[in-house]
Amino acid sequence: MRQRRGKTAIRLGASYLVLILFCCVALFPVLQIFNISLRPADRLLSTSLELIPGNASFDNYAALFTERPFFLWMVNSTFVALVVTCSGVAFASTTGYAFSRYRFIGKKFGLLSLLVTQMFPATMLLLPMYIMLVNLHLINTYLGIVIMYSATALPFCIWQMKGYYDTIPTSLEEAGRIDGCNQFQTFYKIILPIASPALVITALFSFMSAWTEYVVAAQILQDTEMWTLPLGLKSFESNMGSEWGLYGAASVIVTIPVVVLFLSLSRWLVSGLTLGSVKG
Amino acid sequence: MWGGAILLSATIFSLLLLLQVPGCRPGDGKIRITIWHQDRIDVRVILQRQIDRFMKIHPEVKVEQLFKETEELRSGFIIAALAGQGPEIVYGPSDQVGPFEIMNIILPMETMFDSTWLACYDPRALTWYRGHLYQVADKLGNHLTLVYNRKLVPVAPATDRELIEIGRKLTVDLNGDGKTDRYGLAWNYTEPFFFIPFMTGFGGWIMDDRGNPALDSRGTTDGLKFIKELRDVAKIIPNEADYNVADILFKDGNAAMIINGDWSWAGYQKAGLDIGVAPLPRIVSTGLWCEPMVSPKGFSINRNVGGDKKAWVLELIRYLMSAENQLEATRELFTMPTHNDVRHSDFVRDNEILRNSQIQIDHGRPMPVVPELRAIWDAMRPSYQAVLAGTMTAEQAAREMQALALRRIKEMNE
Amino acid sequence: MQSKTLRHRLFIFFLVAPAFVVLFGVVIYPFVYNVVISLSNMNLRHIRDWRIVGFDQYVKVFTEPSQPDFYMVFLKTVIWTVVNLFFHVVIGVFLALVLNQREIRGKAVFRAILVLPWAVPQLIVALTWRGMFNYEYGAINLMLTQWFGLPGVQWLRHPLEAFIAVIITNVWLGFPFMMVIALGALQSIPQDLYEAADIDGASWYHKLKNITVPLIRPVMVPAITLGTIWTFNNLNIVWLVSNAGEPSDQTHLMVSFVYKAAFNFYRYGYGAALSIVIFFVLLAFSLVFMRSSKATENVYS
Repeated sequence: MRQRRGKTAIRLGASYLVLILFCCVALFPVLQIFNISLRPADRLLSTSLELIPGNASFDNYAALFTERPFFLWMVNSTFVALVVTCSGVAFASTTGYAFSRYRFIGKKFGLLSLLVTQMFPATMLLLPMYIMLVNLHLINTYLGIVIMYSATALPFCIWQMKGYYDTIPTSLEEAGRIDGCNQFQTFYKIILPIASPALVITALFSFMSAWTEYVVAAQILQDTEMWTLPLGLKSFESNMGSEWGLYGAASVIVTIPVVVLFLSLSRWLVSGLTLGSVKG
Repeated sequence: MWGGAILLSATIFSLLLLLQVPGCRPGDGKIRITIWHQDRIDVRVILQRQIDRFMKIHPEVKVEQLFKETEELRSGFIIAALAGQGPEIVYGPSDQVGPFEIMNIILPMETMFDSTWLACYDPRALTWYRGHLYQVADKLGNHLTLVYNRKLVPVAPATDRELIEIGRKLTVDLNGDGKTDRYGLAWNYTEPFFFIPFMTGFGGWIMDDRGNPALDSRGTTDGLKFIKELRDVAKIIPNEADYNVADILFKDGNAAMIINGDWSWAGYQKAGLDIGVAPLPRIVSTGLWCEPMVSPKGFSINRNVGGDKKAWVLELIRYLMSAENQLEATRELFTMPTHNDVRHSDFVRDNEILRNSQIQIDHGRPMPVVPELRAIWDAMRPSYQAVLAGTMTAEQAAREMQALALRRIKEMNE
Repeated sequence: MQSKTLRHRLFIFFLVAPAFVVLFGVVIYPFVYNVVISLSNMNLRHIRDWRIVGFDQYVKVFTEPSQPDFYMVFLKTVIWTVVNLFFHVVIGVFLALVLNQREIRGKAVFRAILVLPWAVPQLIVALTWRGMFNYEYGAINLMLTQWFGLPGVQWLRHPLEAFIAVIITNVWLGFPFMMVIALGALQSIPQDLYEAADIDGASWYHKLKNITVPLIRPVMVPAITLGTIWTFNNLNIVWLVSNAGEPSDQTHLMVSFVYKAAFNFYRYGYGAALSIVIFFVLLAFSLVFMRSSKATENVYS
């Protein structure tokens, strides 16, 4: 008994050590960026290892909101990201379910084709995409952007949802059917809650794709009032003479919603199978 | 809850669809002109001020400026113009002109402006290519100069020997730990553009007069050897320095001098440094000045601009190129104006930085506008960096650069 | 009964179809366009008046003596992909396993910090890493010399070290993604399986090999497949950390190679052909990988 507790203590101790080590590795470059945001006069690099620079100030953060339309960019980005996230979760959860549970003609082809859409190097798609969007009058519209983002994020999400549904035994749906639910109710009330970890990943991934994407947005959005955050951040950069202070501060602020979203969603990253399901 | 998500996204989608239906957005009947450029924030602020004044004078026009990073400006403009769209005006350095002209996406302008109006400007501000005028510039420069920290360097060096001497005196190990704490000179020396002044100082140039690459020359090899001398013999420059590293060394006072362009001066002043600007030194052994590339920065017109808008576009360009507006920009940015009245004005004559800038520009060489220039930059880079890494001799590098440049040009023009 | 199933089938179909229509619309046209361009001579001199010239561009892709060499770049890209994925998956799964233990406290804090590399904007973080690899002033060398007494490495000056530097940066950026997926995947494993194995006296290795790995596979395989494709095609990190291929154009992947050809030299036909080649390489890989991991089938059936 004591041996078991001893082993557990070693295991836990080692675990904490590993976690702290990796946290330091993850944190260090990010602290550098925080550092950049505190330095006056746009210094990207520093010649010392110190964590807080001598003449630190929060001026850059203030300047973001007073001298640049940072708040507007945040609103725009939030809007686009939320639409992409909601539609991503909606479409991926249903399409992935269809792929997991049903057999139909072209299923394998359909799955493969989802992958295929990802294989093309994005840079070569710019010219034809622009021509296509011009002809559809979607240039400089949020609808154009949302469509493009969904198209890039959905394949992974659909596939991933399917993979997760595959791990849920079909006996659960049979049990639901016996209890009198129709197919849609089984899906909605029983399967979805169990698949919540995958839904979390889908939501997070969709959000990230829309929140951080630059290339497509730069090509589509032509009005500065419609700019999303990545475009705004790019405007701090010039070939020589970027405004690193503002860039650093903006980067820090832009990271926060992602972390908050992740934290709030991660309470659903819990094994749904333990939520009172089929036994035996 | 998830059903709610489905409903919500469906409603938003339909809302968005509604918004895109033409006729739903209020049109204001104004003539819209868009300018794309790659200028940093200080320039943008001034441009916006001037645009606002223009719109007050002409309320029937709406002008917008859009910033794009240099490479994206070029590729974005090409994509948009080829698709029949794009901004009415594109503003940037003159090397854009070559590729844009060949792709036939900008308009020749010599018939659109009055010859007396054109005569008000420095001839170097008008970019002609293959017999036509494609760009009119309000700023001249984009040139490298020697920038020095006045607290450390009271008088700027005038020759390369002086540069090394002053550099040596200022390269010090302040705390005796064996590592150099301050360098005499730092700059982005790994980038070909920042090497050009030394190539010219030793008698070379990137092209011959017919526009073919001429990289295999004494100028190239001696220039390369000189850079190596600075790093390995005189040891006045850091081991590895790209643009950001050199910039921060200078800002922190860990480099006494830096070679940087006119876009950087205002930033150093804002950082609290007392800087002086001097022309790049003269090479004693050849008697030649180090001549950087000089480029105008100006306006070109998109080929897709229709007849009725053209008049307004020209009006806007004439306004932005006017003497008062150029003086405003010069005062705040220290860029060299192109309007003759402003060039010879008291302000320019009395300002030390601008005076020295003028001298450097007169020493400089115009940047070629041919598209082959890109191939030349690309060909120079690998061999140049190999010499710095010690894996190639200077003579080998010069030959390689030339061979690669010829090959790239052939590939580009097939 | 029959009509209910049919109605339900139609319902699912109508939910699935729009997604697919959009997907194909967005992808098919550009793809076909690129195929056409790859068979043409579109470049600086023939930007509007291009015409179909057959497979010339493909011949050039495979036989043109380029600098850097096409096959070297291809090999480098494969090595880049394999090494990155390996570390992403191993570190990600490892961290997920550690973090998933019941007794760990402060899970939220650890998760928040470990997800940061994924959450931070890539441009500035890539440039920060580039700064950290500077020979004289970078944090990496400062740590090596001051804490470990080792000589500084000239990261960005030599091809091999530069390649390693870019890989290190990308591994740092990529492990949180795999960690999050693995965390999700671990939730699907019923605890009773582990309990049963404990009763049978199984070692941790045995549990890992026979329970954990097979059961997280359905969720990990999409991530690994797509992760491979994304890593293969990742332009940003290589471009930023190595400053577009330095030293001497040695630090290139196929995508940056394509980018340079198409956007710096306006060789659109050549760039399109190269992209199609990349596409077929990835397609071949995916087909082989999918077949060997049986990813299109159910794991419980």
